[in-house]
Formats: sequence, C-alpha cells, structure tokens
Amino acid sequence: MARRVLVLVGLLVAGCASTGQVSLGEVREFADASARLGGYAELSRRYRDTYERELPYLSPQAERVARDTDTRRRAVFDDFVAIQKTLVLYMQTLSLLAGDGRYDLSGRIDDLAGGLNAMTDSELKQRHVAAYAGMTRLLTRVITSRYQNRSVDTMVRDGNADVQTLIDAMIVLTRIYEKANESEQKTVLGVFNAEIPMTNRNADRMLVTLAKVHLQNKTAEYKLIDRRYKLAQQGLTKVALGHQKMRENMDQLSSAETRHMLAGYVSDLNLIRNALSGE
Amino acid sequence: MPTSSHSNPEPVRDDADATPPSTGPLQQAGPSLSNQPSAPEAIGPTMAPRTPPAAQQAVATGLDVDGATRASALSNIQYVVDLADSVVCIADDLHERILQEIASYNGRTMPDTQKALMRALTDDELLLRQYAHALYADAATFVVHDLAAPQHRLMALTTEAAEKIRRIRVISEVTGLVGGILSLVGSIARGQFSQVGAALEKIQGHNAALKTLKPGLLAKT
Repeated sequence: MARRVLVLVGLLVAGCASTGQVSLGEVREFADASARLGGYAELSRRYRDTYERELPYLSPQAERVARDTDTRRRAVFDDFVAIQKTLVLYMQTLSLLAGDGRYDLSGRIDDLAGGLNAMTDSELKQRHVAAYAGMTRLLTRVITSRYQNRSVDTMVRDGNADVQTLIDAMIVLTRIYEKANESEQKTVLGVFNAEIPMTNRNADRMLVTLAKVHLQNKTAEYKLIDRRYKLAQQGLTKVALGHQKMRENMDQLSSAETRHMLAGYVSDLNLIRNALSGE
Repeated sequence: MPTSSHSNPEPVRDDADATPPSTGPLQQAGPSLSNQPSAPEAIGPTMAPRTPPAAQQAVATGLDVDGATRASALSNIQYVVDLADSVVCIADDLHERILQEIASYNGRTMPDTQKALMRALTDDELLLRQYAHALYADAATFVVHDLAAPQHRLMALTTEAAEKIRRIRVISEVTGLVGGILSLVGSIARGQFSQVGAALEKIQGHNAALKTLKPGLLAKT
C-alpha cells in the first residue's frame, strides 16, 4: 500500500516536471523495474551447475550421460546470459532516454560485440539470433548517437518486436530450467525414498537418521527454489506485457489511463523482485 | 571480450555428433541389466531382429545422423520438451513401482537379492532421468534435429509403456521393459536415430510377451 502511494507521488512529480510534454516518468520507472527484475540470471547459473549437485547421487552409468549433458549446458550458458544482458541494457538505455541520465552506458558497448555464437541450426534460433542482432544494432545506434533528442517512442517502436522475442526465449528457457530442476529434485530425493525403507533400522540406526535429516534439508531447499521459477516467469511476462502496452499506447503516454497502467506494471515488478530477493 | 569463451564455434553439435556408435545406449543399457533375473530378456532376442523394418524405414526417410540428409531443424522445441516429459513420467512410474514393492514387505526384511534388484531398477530410473536431462538440454539449446515420424510413434509408445509399468504385477518383469525403454530413450538423446527402430521393436516385443503372462504374485521368499 505504502509503495503504491509512493509510486503515485512519484508519478505526480514526474508529471509536473514534464511541463506539458509527454510524461516519461512512468516509462523510466518501468524500464528501471524491468532492468532490475532478476531471477533469470541466477536460475541460468543454477541450471548450468545441475551436474555438480547431482553428482553424489549418480551411478557410474548415469554419471556418464550427465557429464555429457553438463558439457552441453556449459557450452551455451554464455548465450543464455547474453540474451538477458542485452535486455537489461535495452531497459537501462530506455530509462536513460526517458530520464535524466543515471547510467553511463558507453562502457557497455563492448558487451554487445560478442553476439550469439553457440546456438546453431534451427528455425527458432534464427528468430532469436536475429532479434539479438537487431537489438544490438538499435542499442549501438542509440548509445553512440546521443539520441536524447529523438523520442523514447522511436526506441520503443523499433525495439518492441525484438524485446518480445528475447523475453519469449527467456521464458522458454526458464520453463526448461524449471523442468530440469524438477528432474534433479526427483533424482536427489528419490534415492533416499527408496533406500531409507530398505535399510535395516536396528543395524543402521545412525545412518537412517542422518539420511532422514539430509532428506528433510533437501526437501526444504527444493521447496524454496521451486517458487523462484514461477516468479521469474511471472516477472518476464510482466515486462513483455508492459512493453507491449507501452508500444500500443505510445500516442497517449500522458493520459492518466496509460500512466496508471504502467504504474501497475512497475508495482507488480517490484513485488516480484522483492519476492525473488527473499522478502 | 566474449570471443574468448566462444573459441569452439559449435560445441553442442560437435558433442552430439561425436558419439561413436560403438558406445551407444544399446550397449550401455546391457550391463546394468545383465545381472538381473529377467524372464522377458530371454524372449528379447527373438522379438528384436538385428535390422527390424522400423529401423530401415527410419534410415530410408533420412532421419539418421549420418550424412547431410539429416532432417531439417526441429520446428517446435515443445516436441522435445514433451518427449523429455514423457521420459520423466516413465521414471516416475518406475519409482512409484519400486516404492510399492519395498512397501509390500511391510516391515519384514527384504532378501538381499531383492534389494539388489530394487537398486538396479533405481539406477535405471536415474539413468532415465539423465536422458530426460539430455533432452531438456537439447530443447534449451535449440539444436535438436527433426524427430518427425519416430517422435510421434515414440510418444504413443512411451505412454503405453508407462501404463504398463503401472500395471505389471511381477516386478522382475519390469526389468526387460525398462531395458528396452532405456535403449530407446538413449538412442533419441544421442541422436542415433538408426537405433530407434530396433529399440521400438524390442519394447513392442516385451509388451507382447508381457500380455501373454498372467499377472502373478510378487516374488517374495
């Protein structure tokens, strides 16, 4: 509630400062909240490190398959993160255009030089790589040409399709991370669910107790992490929707309705971010 | 610069293609099952000829990894995810079945041979989960190639297999079926589509054999 009031006050101030121009305070707030969302990068790292966590539970044969998969996960990790970095940079740039220059982006140009390398050979990938390249071009143009005088809506118009595609890729990936995590959970917990009841309780009392404690801890750990996948997906969906709405309402950004709508997305994104950071 | 981390331009493809046929899952699936008493294993060889029609068909339609005729890229990664999900389902059913068997002893001490069987099946379950992981990794990296026809047949078959696992009464009978499924899923996960046909035949053979068996009581001593 308090946060909502604060946002509204912020909007009023921003509205006054814009002196009759299109009010961009909400755009900036939305871009900032989108850039700070979090979740995806952490879950990408967790996905990359699946093998290490599973290793103690695997038979030699399963381990061989797992090691193979591990190599493949690691090979594409940089690309998965590059997608997110680009989106964050886009949002920071948008915030810069809409606000008073709180980011120095000149140093970030180097981040864009890499491109996506490991993804090859698929129709879907072509679409995502094209979006990535398009986004890179747009950002380079915006950052290097001081296009403060060009309007925010040019950026939103030019960027929307690629933003949608990149977020789509991130959501698809987050869903896959979630499934991999489920599978990992069943591997880790499953071993104990089978072994504990088979163990002779009198002979191995200490062992059974230790196993039960371990099982308890692991169950709690997975319960916590489970939530984060849904939260990350919700956040990404909000960013995609918010940007889409912004694009659709570019002509009427200063209308109370549009501003209220954007403020709603900002509020949602902040809530999700707080939930992700453990509040 | 990011270029340093991308020194290998196509690591995923290299990896998928580099697997020599000699280390294929058919061979791999063998050792974990060889030490298990399994009636259907004896039926297996007669039901699974070396070059079954399905395998020939798979090769003829250009689905094998060899050569440039490899089918075009998968248009929808959801197919791969669905496939991985169905592998997870089988692993889940197998897990449930193992727990059921253990629970059926109801406090009585399980004989060591039976424990060994439970552990071997648990290993198979974990292996299935690793194949699911491999498929998820494929889906995530958009590098899975077209599974087309085998994929559809496979989906129907895995559903059927999962149903079977739920219903089979004699736990040792599950072994042969699981062995077939492992071969199948392993072939898919490694892109060795030429072996898919053989694996499908094997599973069908087991299914047919299982139908003729009357559900018996759990093997207890």
